[in-house]
Amino acid sequence: MSGNDTLTPAPTMPAGIPGSALAGPFGVGEYAAALRARLREFARVQLVGELADLRPSRARVYFELRDAHGAIPCAAWKADWEAVVQRVGAVREGMQVVVAGGCDYYPGSAAASPSFSFAVSDLRVAGEGDLLARIDRLRKALAAEGLLERQQRLSRPQLPRTIGVVTGEGGKARDDVLAGLRRRGWAGTIVWGFAPVQDRHAAPAITRALQDLAAVGGVDVAIVARGGGSLADLLCFCDETLCRTVALLGVPVIASVGHHTDRTLLDDVAAVSCSTPTHAAEEAVGVDCAQARAELGRAAKRLHRHGHRAVLERARTLAALSRAPTEQLERQRTRLHQQLREIRAGARRRVEAERALTRRRAVVLERKTQAAVGDCRRRRPRELERLALALAAHDPQRTLERGYALVQGPTGEPLSSAARAREQTQVRLHFADGAVGARIEEQGS
Amino acid sequence: MSYEANVARVEEIIRRLDSGEASLTDTLQLVKEGKELIERCAVELEAVGGALEELRLEELVARLEGEAAKSEAGG
Repeated sequence: MSGNDTLTPAPTMPAGIPGSALAGPFGVGEYAAALRARLREFARVQLVGELADLRPSRARVYFELRDAHGAIPCAAWKADWEAVVQRVGAVREGMQVVVAGGCDYYPGSAAASPSFSFAVSDLRVAGEGDLLARIDRLRKALAAEGLLERQQRLSRPQLPRTIGVVTGEGGKARDDVLAGLRRRGWAGTIVWGFAPVQDRHAAPAITRALQDLAAVGGVDVAIVARGGGSLADLLCFCDETLCRTVALLGVPVIASVGHHTDRTLLDDVAAVSCSTPTHAAEEAVGVDCAQARAELGRAAKRLHRHGHRAVLERARTLAALSRAPTEQLERQRTRLHQQLREIRAGARRRVEAERALTRRRAVVLERKTQAAVGDCRRRRPRELERLALALAAHDPQRTLERGYALVQGPTGEPLSSAARAREQTQVRLHFADGAVGARIEEQGS
Repeated sequence: MSYEANVARVEEIIRRLDSGEASLTDTLQLVKEGKELIERCAVELEAVGGALEELRLEELVARLEGEAAKSEAGG
């Protein structure tokens, strides 16, 4: 503002600085309103630059337009921005864009801060910005050298004893890491490697801290943490030296340097990339220590039970086995006794039956004997007499006495036919009163 | 072996014991091994179960460098 013709010092205003040649004092609100009016008089133009620090709010979308020589804060009404997005597609940080608009100034109030911005009414995407193109080239180069997988191949202990953390000393990320570790119930050793995390000194300092963490030894895992920021703020995590150092480090590195939408080259080369420092801490300690203690206790009890049961059950089995022969013997003995009793009883029954049978037979015999004796006494003399008579009837002597003779051969055999007598020369003739020799004159015909 | 490897082996041992297929000799051997592994795991957990120890890297580096310098001077 070249003059004070439009501004008049208020009559209630305090006096100005003694000796000052400058006009005023004026009320600041009045001056701010005049400034806005003057800025709006500036020619409306088109600017070209790289879009950075994109921050949508409820009514407006804020961002910065940058190039190698300077930057301008920009703001667009939500409706204008959505019309642009509808026409050109998603607009991202790092893009080269042409914006149309003019200078504006929000004068603020007693409760609201003032701000200058280039009020954007239209936008055209001119191409991927140098920044994104450069990062993309470097990513491809690292990938071609196999540096994006080296960290992922490192073994990472689930329960580290020592964790190295590289972060800003006064940043919120430090508290978030501690909160994540507390949530895991972890209380080992933390080695803090404090370093700036967003200016031009950041990348070399972080690189050195990581190298030192690896060099001191005993660090099981390292975390690089910072809160989210614009891509421009996170540029240090796309530094080639830092990324190559991490890729070749022997200690696994967990990166947590931005939000979901911000992916740096460090995220690509690290063993793991996490969205928040809290998540990174939980990733560094893979087990919930309190839960692990409980599980270990349960496992110990199960093992003890198994050991105890294995011995006890087998001891019971052995005891049962050792009792088995005795029981078997006892069973056999009982069985034998039973059989013996049965045999004895059977024998007694048999003897009794035999005895009874014998008694019956004896009685029968007795009866028969008595009957036979009685019979003999009556019948036998008559029978003997009859037999004697029958026998006497067959006595040859009796026949001889009736005048017959018995002819015998030389050897005494009876000759009962003439034919047999003709075969002999000498025979003997028996009569009732004696025998005489005789000669056969008529020989066989 | 790492903590997680020890835990994995303990789980394997318990699975084997649960199957009931281990002989008495195997059971006793497995229980002995399992108890030793649990003891090792407990030591690991104990190491991170006390009070959090916080060290500053630059102090650690300075101390190590000092020790190295002394060692060189002594040698």
